[in-house]
Amino acid sequence: MTRLARTSVWPGIALSAGVFVACLLVSLAFGPASLSLGEVWHFVTTGPVQGDLPNAIFWQIRLPRVLVACLVGAELAVAGVILQDLFLNPLTDPYVTGVSSGAALGATIGIVLHLSNLPWMTVLALVGGFATLGIVWMAARRRGRIDIFVLLLAGVTISYLASAVVTVLMIRANQDMYAIVYWLMGSFSGRGWPDVEIALVAVPFMIAPLFFAREMDILLQGEKRALELGVEVERTKRVLLVTAGVLTAIAVSVSGIIGFVGLVVPHIVRLLVGPGHRSLLPVSLLLGASMMGIADLLSRTVIAPNEIPVGVVTTFVGAPLFVYLLRRGRKG
Amino acid sequence: MSTNRTRHGLAAATILTALILTVAGALVLAGCGSDAGAGGEASPAASAGPITVTDGTGTTVTMDQPAARIVSLAPANTEIAYAVGAGDKMVAGTSYDDYPEEATSLPKIGDFANPNVEKIASFEPDLVLAAGGIQDKLRSKLEKLGMKVYVVDPKTYDGVMTDITNLGQLTGSTEQAQQVADTMQKAKDDVQAQVASAAKVATFLEIYSKPLMTAGSETFIDDMITLAGGTNLGATAGPGFPTFSTEVLFENDPPVYIADSGSMSKPGDISKRAGFADLTAVNEGHVYVIDDNLIARPGPRLAQGLRELVKMIHPEAAAAP
Repeated sequence: MTRLARTSVWPGIALSAGVFVACLLVSLAFGPASLSLGEVWHFVTTGPVQGDLPNAIFWQIRLPRVLVACLVGAELAVAGVILQDLFLNPLTDPYVTGVSSGAALGATIGIVLHLSNLPWMTVLALVGGFATLGIVWMAARRRGRIDIFVLLLAGVTISYLASAVVTVLMIRANQDMYAIVYWLMGSFSGRGWPDVEIALVAVPFMIAPLFFAREMDILLQGEKRALELGVEVERTKRVLLVTAGVLTAIAVSVSGIIGFVGLVVPHIVRLLVGPGHRSLLPVSLLLGASMMGIADLLSRTVIAPNEIPVGVVTTFVGAPLFVYLLRRGRKG
Repeated sequence: MSTNRTRHGLAAATILTALILTVAGALVLAGCGSDAGAGGEASPAASAGPITVTDGTGTTVTMDQPAARIVSLAPANTEIAYAVGAGDKMVAGTSYDDYPEEATSLPKIGDFANPNVEKIASFEPDLVLAAGGIQDKLRSKLEKLGMKVYVVDPKTYDGVMTDITNLGQLTGSTEQAQQVADTMQKAKDDVQAQVASAAKVATFLEIYSKPLMTAGSETFIDDMITLAGGTNLGATAGPGFPTFSTEVLFENDPPVYIADSGSMSKPGDISKRAGFADLTAVNEGHVYVIDDNLIARPGPRLAQGLRELVKMIHPEAAAAP
């Protein structure tokens, strides 16, 4: 533990920050519209201009979309780290808490009622996500403490229940079925500045867990041991669970359900920098953002003017990388 | 002599009549034949003997006598059945049948995506009207149970007319079906005349907004946009209903932007989307919403949809007498 704390975390963070900046620039430089690098640079320097279509492609279409993708990637990766380590379960992803299914149910209700995309569908998704978090929380609360395993089971159960209701609504609302299916698949198509604003709300929640890095390190050894070492276990769990729930709800309400990033980025980062949260959290945040940014770049360019669902790309990019790192990790 | 002349006259009249009948008959047949588009091919109508038509998948459907009990597995098929005058032979439809009004009270076979074979069989239909894609796979199961299956899967406006005349034959209401097809042909001819001298206008048709989806090539929507004097930007993204890059939409800046009402988009909302204020269609007030039922259901109401489309794509031509 002490050794872990002493190891400098800055080289890893600096390196992943470099990777993130590179991914951000590449994502902004390329897209299905044939803007040259010179033009892009020109737009960056002139700022948004009304009535100039190529300028609008950069400032109103590409930039907000890239930002939303990076923010959602970061949110899911941080939520993934928190939940995997609280549940001490490597198969956990941000969606096990049921928050995403609750959000999906909210969005589906919005679609079936033919409410407008913004703000209502997003608001309903957020409400659905938070309501699920609340229900799961109540189920797991016993005599003032949160039972992590009850929470996990309740989350999975609520998740199934919400999915079942979504399925029923899908069958009933034949005309809107594809809208629901596409929402469930997740996408950054058509996301603009209002979505960036919503995703930005999550930034404090991405940073907050950093202040609990030490507690999270100790909690890896179990709640009993953490109590013996003087960690305020219940308070830490409460803060972290709410944080992960908020991050997931916001990410899902903006993008729909995009798999793999929240599951695999934390594992990849553990293989790269180890389990210490002082580097695991920030590096996951940066690499989650990088991975989602690149995945969305591929999603919108590879078969343009068509788009590949971004969840498909995250899996295609992430799975081989993960298997490679797992093998390398085992050899080392 | 005079009797001889009369006889000759009679013979001539008979020959002439026969000739006129033959030519007229040939014209009627040619008329049927010319309707044959991607939807299939009509065969000569016959009042007696087996009826043979080719459906949307290219499969030959033969019935010994006109259908008496019909089950429809798609709202468009139900519309066609009622339009051709076979409504009284309908024994079941889908939960989404909403047109015409009478269709809503039909017994239901369940949902569109997953029709229940047992349920369909329980109505003992002799003809099942299916849609393309997933429903095509039901064919063998239904045929094993002794039902005939006709798949309505038109890729063009003409294909829809063919399906209508074919269903007219299968249900024994050839004449009324022909009238419906004629109405559709009239709409097509009128619209074609209106836009004959107009330049093609690039048009984007939004099927859904998040993600942005459009009607691609090989769809009757694409065909109708072309008939109405437009060029469908969505056709560049491939067949069917593909997702479409917003950046490419902006790059092409189509002067007309039409949202299918199924997208739930309103013209006001579209104009307010990030960056959309810079689009020509928004600036010049050519953002429209078209009733989903008039362009996305391969039935007789496409005629109305085509007339709506031309008002949006060529308002000046549509307004001219």
